[in-house]
Amino acid sequence: MAKIIVVTSGKGGVGKTTSAAAVATGLALRGQKTVVIDFDVGLRNLDLVMGCERRVVYDLVNVIQGEAGLNQALIRDKRIDNLHIMPASQTRDKDALTLEGVDQVLESLSKDFDYIICDSPAGIERGAQLAMYFADEAIVVTNPEVSSVRDSDRILGLLSSKTRRAERGDDPIKEHLLITRYNPNRVDRGDMLNLEDIREILSINLVGLIPESEAVLRASNQGVPVTHDESSDAGQAYADTVSRLLGEEVPLRFHEYQKKSLLSRMFGGGRR
Amino acid sequence: MSLKVERDGMAFTFKGGMLPMTVMELASADPEHIREQLAGKLSQSPAFFHHTPVVLNVEHLDEPHLALERICAVCRAHKLLPVAVRGGPDPVKQSAWALGLGWFPPQEAARPRSLESVSVNEASEEDMLPLMGDEPVADEMAGGRIFRGTVRSGQQITSPEGDLVVVGAVNAGAEVLAGGSVHVYGPLRGRALAGIHGNTQAGIFCRELRAELLSVAGNYKRLEDIDPRLLGTAIQVRLSEAQLSITPLD
Repeated sequence: MAKIIVVTSGKGGVGKTTSAAAVATGLALRGQKTVVIDFDVGLRNLDLVMGCERRVVYDLVNVIQGEAGLNQALIRDKRIDNLHIMPASQTRDKDALTLEGVDQVLESLSKDFDYIICDSPAGIERGAQLAMYFADEAIVVTNPEVSSVRDSDRILGLLSSKTRRAERGDDPIKEHLLITRYNPNRVDRGDMLNLEDIREILSINLVGLIPESEAVLRASNQGVPVTHDESSDAGQAYADTVSRLLGEEVPLRFHEYQKKSLLSRMFGGGRR
Repeated sequence: MSLKVERDGMAFTFKGGMLPMTVMELASADPEHIREQLAGKLSQSPAFFHHTPVVLNVEHLDEPHLALERICAVCRAHKLLPVAVRGGPDPVKQSAWALGLGWFPPQEAARPRSLESVSVNEASEEDMLPLMGDEPVADEMAGGRIFRGTVRSGQQITSPEGDLVVVGAVNAGAEVLAGGSVHVYGPLRGRALAGIHGNTQAGIFCRELRAELLSVAGNYKRLEDIDPRLLGTAIQVRLSEAQLSITPLD
């Protein structure tokens, strides 16, 4: 049985799709058979971030409506054999998804995969609720700003009430906090919320902290998940995040402001 | 918050006011039946019956002709002072006026606040445990709620009949309401409303004040109105002379 992990946030633009792609890639690199599903029907992006937009034929909505088989819609990743992508439809809207349909798709995928990563749309409406409904674990992506923290708090409330585990009274969903776009320099200056404040308000376990990095934008535009960029700070931070998801203890990095040394200034900085 | 009104030479001024009022919901029109129940209540909590003004709510009765005069006499005999009647058909309205009582139109049917209902939106029932007050003043004051965990943005936790205890934080955008007092053993960042049925003795207590709004029996203060020096400290909120007073706990 696969572990179903939803990547969600409430707020848009905080890095859900980037994180879903990076975490899925990281899990696959660690030998886990992984599929990542785009639930953002109508605003599909995951295929671009994963670099498979030219190979999309069928999508999640086609499968749910019986127009295509599961294996026809699954796209195998170019770089890693045990990573698959299930794209969303760009021409439909979120009403095309049904609870029963999503249940069946996840049920079938569960037999073949170790991890199912659900990339949630922004908001708290139907699309987001369907993406989280069947989850075993949730990665709540949060930026160090008050509006993002409040929206994450709202999502955590929904995770504890509007999901199958909550409705059945099973063990609650395991909630993980993933802080993205963290800039220790700007935190020091008071432009951004600091790590401790975010942890205190949301009071859930921190699974990772991704520094604000040029590598992230570059990776999305090139369609190569940033986890592949092992020399970048963001790539390493996502690799740490994946290790923690797999139950390993990894010390936190990239959360403190470090003045650039003379050498790194001369050579243009090593952490890019 | 005081209004400067020129009072010289005026015998009175009219002011709008919201006074807490006990409403007696009549489920029977039989004065003898009412007398029996009142006698029982009087022996349980004599302090409650001290010329307490009450509004007789007859909107749930299906009787066109009410023995209003006898019902009022029964109430007065038990130290309750009927001041007005709410609801009922036209003859009831006429007899209320004839008895020198006021008349209020019936409450809209859709008003959500029934004393009997406990609503917890987006929070599971298992988090809620019943809590008994140690010395209930009246029956309505018994039965509070304990909520363990974080009350998150968008969630509303209600304890209409008594106190509400939150063991955890109340985050911004969350709302906690109680017929009695609200106690928060953690940071209070959302809205807290105590005494939602008009209990002016209710209070709000918290370990760390960051609240968006504090209200006791309809009197409120917004975050902007709160002395910044009190933010982040342990405080209690009480109603004194129709003003919220916020004082440190430690």
